[in-house]
Amino acid sequence: MRRTFPLELVMIAVAVAFLFPVYTLVSLALKDPGQIASSPMALPSPPTLDNFADAWTAAALGPSLVNSTVITVVSLVALIALGSFASYFLARVQSRLGYGLYILFLLGIVLPFQLGMIPLYRLVTDLGLIGTHAGMILFYTGIQLPFTVFLYTGFIRALPGDYAAAAQIDGASHLVAFTRVVFPLLRPITGTVLILNAVFIWNDFFTPLVYLGGSGFETVPVSVFAYVGQYVSQHGLVFAGLVLGALPIVVVFLALQRYVIKGFSSGLKG
Amino acid sequence: MTDLLHQARLSRGQFLRVMGGLAAATLATACSTRPETTATTGGAAATELKFIGVADQKTPMDELAAAYQKAKPTVRLTTSYAPTDQVQTSLRTQLGAGNAPDLHVVYPGNGSAMSMTQIAQAGLLADLSAQSWTQTIPTGFKPAFQLDGKTYLYSAGSSVIGAVYNKKVFERAGIDAPPTTWTEFLAVCDKLKKAGVVPIALGAQTPWVTQLITYALVPSTVYAKDPAFDDKQLAGQATFAGSGWRQAMEMYLELQKRGYFNDKPNGTTFEQQTSMVATGKAGMAVQVSAVLPDFRKAAASPDDLSMFPVPGADDANSVWIPAGVVVGLGAGAKGKNAEEAKAFIDFLGRQENINAWAKAIAAIPLTQDASSSIDPAVQSFLPFTKDRAVPFMDQRWPNAEVQPVHFAVVQELLGGDSTIDEALKKMDEAYRK
Amino acid sequence: MTSLTAFRSRPARAARRRGSAVTPPWLFAAPALVVYAIVVLYPAVSGVVYAFTDWSGIGADGSFVGLANFATLFGDEQAMGSIGNTLLLTLAIVVVQNGIGLLLALGVNVKLRSRALLRVIFFAPVVVSPVMVAFLWKYIYNPDPSAGLNGLLGLHVDWLGDPSVALWSIAGMVVWQNAGYSMVIFLAGLEGVPRELHEAAMIDGAGTWQRFRYVTWPLLAPALTINLMLSTIGGLKLFDQVFAATNGGPGYATETLSTVLYKQAFVFGKYGYSTAIALVLALFVAAVSLVQIYYTRRREVTA
Repeated sequence: MRRTFPLELVMIAVAVAFLFPVYTLVSLALKDPGQIASSPMALPSPPTLDNFADAWTAAALGPSLVNSTVITVVSLVALIALGSFASYFLARVQSRLGYGLYILFLLGIVLPFQLGMIPLYRLVTDLGLIGTHAGMILFYTGIQLPFTVFLYTGFIRALPGDYAAAAQIDGASHLVAFTRVVFPLLRPITGTVLILNAVFIWNDFFTPLVYLGGSGFETVPVSVFAYVGQYVSQHGLVFAGLVLGALPIVVVFLALQRYVIKGFSSGLKG
Repeated sequence: MTDLLHQARLSRGQFLRVMGGLAAATLATACSTRPETTATTGGAAATELKFIGVADQKTPMDELAAAYQKAKPTVRLTTSYAPTDQVQTSLRTQLGAGNAPDLHVVYPGNGSAMSMTQIAQAGLLADLSAQSWTQTIPTGFKPAFQLDGKTYLYSAGSSVIGAVYNKKVFERAGIDAPPTTWTEFLAVCDKLKKAGVVPIALGAQTPWVTQLITYALVPSTVYAKDPAFDDKQLAGQATFAGSGWRQAMEMYLELQKRGYFNDKPNGTTFEQQTSMVATGKAGMAVQVSAVLPDFRKAAASPDDLSMFPVPGADDANSVWIPAGVVVGLGAGAKGKNAEEAKAFIDFLGRQENINAWAKAIAAIPLTQDASSSIDPAVQSFLPFTKDRAVPFMDQRWPNAEVQPVHFAVVQELLGGDSTIDEALKKMDEAYRK
Repeated sequence: MTSLTAFRSRPARAARRRGSAVTPPWLFAAPALVVYAIVVLYPAVSGVVYAFTDWSGIGADGSFVGLANFATLFGDEQAMGSIGNTLLLTLAIVVVQNGIGLLLALGVNVKLRSRALLRVIFFAPVVVSPVMVAFLWKYIYNPDPSAGLNGLLGLHVDWLGDPSVALWSIAGMVVWQNAGYSMVIFLAGLEGVPRELHEAAMIDGAGTWQRFRYVTWPLLAPALTINLMLSTIGGLKLFDQVFAATNGGPGYATETLSTVLYKQAFVFGKYGYSTAIALVLALFVAAVSLVQIYYTRRREVTA
C-alpha cells in the first residue's frame, strides 16, 4: 500500500531472525527431554510447563526475587540521586579542578573490575556489610557512578543554563533550583540511566555470588546458576531456569519500553 | 500491540510517583526480610555456619546438613552452591581478603588453586587430624587428604574414571561383554560404528572433559610400569615427554583417527556428550563416575547406563585404573566458629554419613561397613581399587598450571593444530614452573 | 511541563548574563565522590600495589619484586597472543555491532507501521544477562547439523570448536545482544536531523545515498562517538561471554587479556602477576578511548 512496504517486509524478516535465539530458548524450555532429543528445532508439541514448575521450586526463586528487587531499586534511587547532583555540579563548574574531578569519575569506566576486587572485599568485610543488602547497594552505587555521571553530565551540558538561572533570580537556593527546575528536565536521561543501571545490577552474577553466597540473601542470578549447575544436560530444565531468571527484567522493560527507548533517544544527544 | 505500547508511556508525575513508591516499598521490605539468624532452642543462641560449595555437592550436603540440624539444633548451616569456576573465583577472593566461610569446598591433593595443599600451605585450613575418622584413611589416599602428616580435607570416598556406556546400545550392536584389553576396546568401538552409532561421545569444548581419556589410559601406560612415577617426576627424574604419557596421547589420537569420536569434539559440550550417551546416539563416554547421576537424569531409564574400566593395555593384568578422592570440604582455620565447623566435619566422618554422601554421588565410600552400598555401575572397578589404582594425576602435580595446559593441548591435538611432541613439551614446561 | 513555561517567557538575555554565575556548590558532588572513592578509587589504588609483588592471592602478603611482573608479561607468549585476540575481537564487535545498529536505526526511523514493535524486539536482548546469553548461544552453536544455528541454516560449522571460527562466533553472540544498544543511540542522533534539511536536499535532486552521505551522516557524529567509545571499551574488557562460552579455548584460540588475567589470579594463584596484567589492560583501554575521543571529536567539529 505504501512506498515503505518493501522496507517493512525486510525489517520484519530481520526481526524474525533476531528472535531465533529467543525461540530456541523458550521452545526448549517447553519441551520434555524426549522432544528435545528427537526434534530440537520443532515447535513444542504438546508444550509442557513441568520444567518451569520444577525450576521455580528447586531454585527457590521467590526469596531471591525479593532480594534482587530490594538491591536493584535502592541502588537505582541512590545512583540517580548521587549521580544527578554530582553531574549538575560537574557540568556547570568552570575550574580546572572541577574538570579534573570529572575525568577522575570517567576513569572508573576504564578500570578492569579485577583490579580492586580483593581490597574492596576486605573493606566491605571491615564495614561489616558482607552478606547484607546494604553492602551490595553500596557496591553498585559506587561501581555504576562513573557511567551514570558520564550520561548525566553530557545531557546537562547540552541543556540551556537559563532555567536554573531564572529560578535563582527568583531567589531560590541551589538545592531548590536543582530539584524543582533542573531535575525534572533530566527525565529523559534519567530513564536511560534507570534502565541501563537496572539491567546491569539485576543481571550481575559474580559480585552477589562473592558477597552474598551462603547468606540467605542470594539474588536471582545466583539462585538460577546454582540451580542450572545441577542440571547440566537437561536443557529443558536449564532453559526454564534461565527464562524465569530473565523474566522479571524483561517484563519491566516491556512495561516501560516506550519510556525507555524514548528516554534513550532524547537522553543521549549530549 | 502497537497501541498498547503507546499507552505504556508515563508522564513525569506518574514516573516520580512510581519511583518514590518503589523506593518506599523496597526500604520497607529491606527492613523486614532479614532471615532469622538467631533461632533459639532451650535458651541457647544458634551458631550459624556458612558453607560454600560446588553444584555437585548440593545433593549430599543438603541431606546431611538437614540431618545435622536435627541432631544438633543449636547449629544452623547456610549453604550456597555455584558452578566450579565461579566458586573458585568467589572463594579465592574471600580467602585472599582473610574472610573465609566456616566451611568450603576443597579439592584433594595438589594441582589446583582450590586444592588442599595450596590452601593448607597458606595456613587457611583447620587441622582435622584429631578426628577419629581420619585414622582410617587408606594409605594410598593419604596424599590427597594430608600435608606433612596432618589431615586438612574431608571427602566421602573415591570416584573412578572409565567408560559410561549405554547397555541398550551395546546390546543392539551385538556386544555381549565390556572389553578387557585395548584390542577388544577398539573392536567394540568398531562394532558400534558399524551399527551406526557414535562409539565414543567426546565433549571437549568443556575444558575438564578433555583430560579424561588421557587420565583413563595413563594408569596403564605409565603407572603399571612405574608405580613411583609421581615421585620421580617431582624429583626431576621423569618427564611427560619421556614416559608412557606419549603412548596415552597416541592412543587418544588413534581413537580420533579411526573415527570413533563424534564429529567436531572441540565444539561439543559436556552437556551434549551426556545427552548423546543417555539418549542412545552414542555408545559410551569416558567420564568420571561422579557424573553418573547426570547421565541417569538425562536417560529414559537410569538402568540403561553402567560403567566399565577403560583397558589401556593389551594384557588384561596390566590394566590399571584411575581412582581419585572426590571433591570434599575443609574448615577455615581462623573463623570464630572454627570449633563448630570442625564438629560438623566430625559428624560427616561417621560411617553412616560417609555412606550417605558416597551414595548420592555414586562414589566408593572412603571406609566401608555392612551398610555401605556401592553403586552397581562401578562394581567392575572394585577388583582394581586395591593395588591397581592411581589417584587422578593432577592431585600430585606441583602447581595449578599443568592441568589447564593439559586441557589446551588436548584441544589443539584434537583440532590438528599441534603435535604430541609439542603438547608434552608444553606440559613439561608448565610442570617445572 | 507547565511550570516551566513561566521561566521560558522571561527575557532570556537576563538569564544568560547571570548563567555563568550559577555554578552549584562543591557539596553537590561530595556524596557521590565519597561513595566512588570507597568503592572504586581506594580499592583500585591499594590493588595496584600487588602488581609489584609475587603474592599468590591467599595467605601472607608476597614480597616486593619491583617490575618483574611486567618483564614476565612481555615474555609471556600466552598473554601476548591474547592481546592480538582482544584487538581482533574488539575490532569485529565495534565494526559489526555499530554497522548493524546503524542499519537498524535507519530502518526503524522510517515511519513503518511496525516500528514501535521492531524497536522493542531489537533492543530486548540488551536487558538479558550476558552469562545467560552465553549459555543460550552455546546451545545454538551446537556443531550437530540438525540442531541450533546449523539446523536453521543447513550448515555444518563447528562454531566454538574450530579455532579459526570460535573468536568470530563469540563476536556474533555479543553483536546479537548489543546491536539494539547501538541502534537506540543512533536513533537518538537521527531524531536530531532536521526534516527540512532532507527536504531541501531532495529538492536539489539528491538521491537516498547522497542524502545519507551529506545530510544524515555528518549529523550522526555525536552518536557515533558515543557508540564507538562504549563498544570499544566493552570489547576490550569483554570477559563474561568469553569465559562462559569457551573459557579461552579451543587451545588458546579465544584467550583475551581479561581471561588471561582472570586465570592468573584465580586458577594459577598468581595474583600479583594478574594485577600487573590488569594494570596494562587499564592503560590500554584508557589510551585507545582517548585516541578515539580525540579523533571523533575532531570529526564532529569539522563536519
